[in-house]
Amino acid sequence: MTFKGISIACSFTTFGLYAVLILSLFYFFRTETLWDALFSERTLFSIRLSVVAATISTFLSVLIAVPSAFALSRYDFAGKKAVDTILELPMIVSPAALGAMLLIFFNNPLGLWIQDHGVQFVFTFYGIVLAQFVTVCGVSTRLIKAAMDEIPVRYEAVARTLGASPGKAFLTITLPLSRRGIVAASILSWAKALGEFGATITIAGSMAMKTETLPIAIFMRLASAEIEGTVVLILILVSIGLSILYIVRILSRGDSYA
Amino acid sequence: MLEVVDLSARAGGFVLGKVSLTVQPSSCHVILGPTGSGKTLLLESVIGLRKPQEGKVILEGNEITGLPIERRGLSYVPQDLALFPHMTVRENILYPVRMRGGTQDIENGIVRELVDSLGIRHLLDRSVRNLSGGERQRTALARAMASGCTYLVLDEPLSALHESLKKELWYLLKDLQRRYDLAVLMVTHDLEEAFFLGDTVSVVLEGRVRRQGTKEDVYEHPASVEVARFLGIRNLFHVEKEGGTGDSPLVYCQDLRTTLKLSPHAGKWNPTSTSSFAVGIRSENVAILMPGELTSETHNVIEGTIEDTYASGALVTLMATGRGSSTSVEAALPRSMARRFALAKGHRVLLHLPEESLFVIDPDSREDLS
Repeated sequence: MTFKGISIACSFTTFGLYAVLILSLFYFFRTETLWDALFSERTLFSIRLSVVAATISTFLSVLIAVPSAFALSRYDFAGKKAVDTILELPMIVSPAALGAMLLIFFNNPLGLWIQDHGVQFVFTFYGIVLAQFVTVCGVSTRLIKAAMDEIPVRYEAVARTLGASPGKAFLTITLPLSRRGIVAASILSWAKALGEFGATITIAGSMAMKTETLPIAIFMRLASAEIEGTVVLILILVSIGLSILYIVRILSRGDSYA
Repeated sequence: MLEVVDLSARAGGFVLGKVSLTVQPSSCHVILGPTGSGKTLLLESVIGLRKPQEGKVILEGNEITGLPIERRGLSYVPQDLALFPHMTVRENILYPVRMRGGTQDIENGIVRELVDSLGIRHLLDRSVRNLSGGERQRTALARAMASGCTYLVLDEPLSALHESLKKELWYLLKDLQRRYDLAVLMVTHDLEEAFFLGDTVSVVLEGRVRRQGTKEDVYEHPASVEVARFLGIRNLFHVEKEGGTGDSPLVYCQDLRTTLKLSPHAGKWNPTSTSSFAVGIRSENVAILMPGELTSETHNVIEGTIEDTYASGALVTLMATGRGSSTSVEAALPRSMARRFALAKGHRVLLHLPEESLFVIDPDSREDLS
C-alpha cells in the first residue's frame, strides 16, 4: 500500500470509529420514545437551561476573549507567556477537577465572602454559567488570537498613519477583519459549553428541573438505566454539535490576508 | 522639510547605524540599497513603527520622534500596500478623512479631485480584492494622499509590478509630486527607479549610509568601491599618482597599463594622503572611437581587443582588453552603434575613457578592489 493509501485509510478509520458510535445509538432508538423524551417537560427544561447558560457563558467569555486575544496577538508585556500558558488549563485539567477547583474556591474565605455578599454559585444556575465560562474562556481566547494572528499588523500600522488612534484602528480594521474568526470561536465555544458536564455537575450538582443541563440529563437517565431516553438526548446533542461544526466550517472558508 | 538626524535602530541582531538625511519640500529623497540593507528599518523608525535607539525625526521644525504614529503627519504606503480588504476602493480612500472627522463636503471634494488625478473613478465601488496590480497602487496612493499629509513615505510600492506598468507609475508619481507639492521619502532597490524618481539619493549598505547627494552626484561619483559595485559599475581600476597639476592630475593605471588624465572634479582628489587609489567609469560613458576621430587633444585612449559581446535590449555590452593588460574594460553602446561599427569578438577597438566621466574612489574609504 502506498503512503497516500495508508494515510487515507487512517483518516477513514477515525471516521469509522465515530460513525460506528453514532450508528450504534440507533440500536436502542424507538420513534415513540423520541417524541415522549423530546417533548417531556424535563427534557425541554434541560434543553432550555443548557442553551441559555451556554449562550450567557459564551457571550461573557467572548467579551473577555476579544481584548485578551488582541493583547496576546499584538503586544509584548510582562507575564505574557504565563497568561498564554494558563489559557490551556481547561484542556490539561479534567473538567471534574476544574469543577472541584471552583468548589474549593467557594469554600475558602474569599469564595465564601462572594457567596455571602454577591452571587450564590454553588448548586445554582450561576454555577452552571461559571463552570461553562471557566471551561470555554481559554479556548475562545486561543481561537480568537489565532484569527487575529492571521491579520497582518501592517493594516493597523497603515490605519494609524492615516489618522486612526490605536482604539479606532482596532475597531475599524482588526475587529471587522477577524469577524469570521470571532463568530467561529463563539459558535465552537457555545457548542463546548452546551456539552460541558464535569465542571457543571461538580459545582452545580444534578438537581432535576433546577441544574439539570442536557449532558447531566444524559448522565442521570443512563444512571437510572433509561437507555432509550438517553439515546434521544445524545442524538439531540450530536445533532446540535454537528450542525455547529458545519456552520463553523462554512464561516472559516475564504479569508486570507497574506 | 523632513529631517532625520543621527537615527539608529536595531531589529534582532541587525543594527542600523546613525543615519541623517533631509527631504526638502516638493522633492523626493530615495533610500537605495539591496535587500537586507536596513532600508525598511529606517523607514519604519521614521514613521514610528519602530522605536529608534537614538536620533531625531524633525518635521517642519518640530521634533516628532516621540509622537504616536497618527500624530506624526506622515502618510505611509508599505510594500504590499495594505489596502483594507474588507472595504471598497471608496472606503479605503475616505478612511483617513473619516478618521480625522472630515465632513461630507471634504469627502466629496477629495473623491472628485484625487480619483480623477489617479484615474480610478470607475473603481470606486469595487472591492479592493478585485483590483489589478496597477489599480491597487493607484488606490493606495490616493488613500495616502487623502490624509492631507504632504509628506509621503513609500516602501518599495512598485516592486511587485511588471516593467511597463512600473514605468507608467513612475510618471504618475512624478506628476502627482509636482502637482500636489508632495515631499516623498521612498525606499527602493531598483537603480533605475531611484534615479528616475529621486531628486536626492542615499545609498544604504549593511545598515550604513555609504553615499548621499543629488542623484546626478551619486550616479556619476559613487565615491566608494562598495557603492560603485552596488550601482553596477564594473570598471574600477587601481591607479597611482603620476604627476600633472591640481587642475589636470595624471595617474598611472597599472590595470590598463596606461596613463589617465583626470578631471579636477573627478572626486576627492587628495594626492598628499596617498599615492595609490582607485578610479572608475560607468560602462555607458566608455566611448568607441574610430581611428579618424583621434586628435592630439584626445586623452585616455586604449587600444584593445573585444573579448566578448552581450546584447541586452537596447544596449550591447562589450568586454575589451588593452594591449599587455589582463583587465577588461566594459563598454555599453546603443545596439545601432554596435551594428554600425560591426563590433564582434576579436575586433580591435579604440576605447576612450573621457576624463570628465572618470571618478575617483575616495582614498579615505580604504576599500580594496580585490
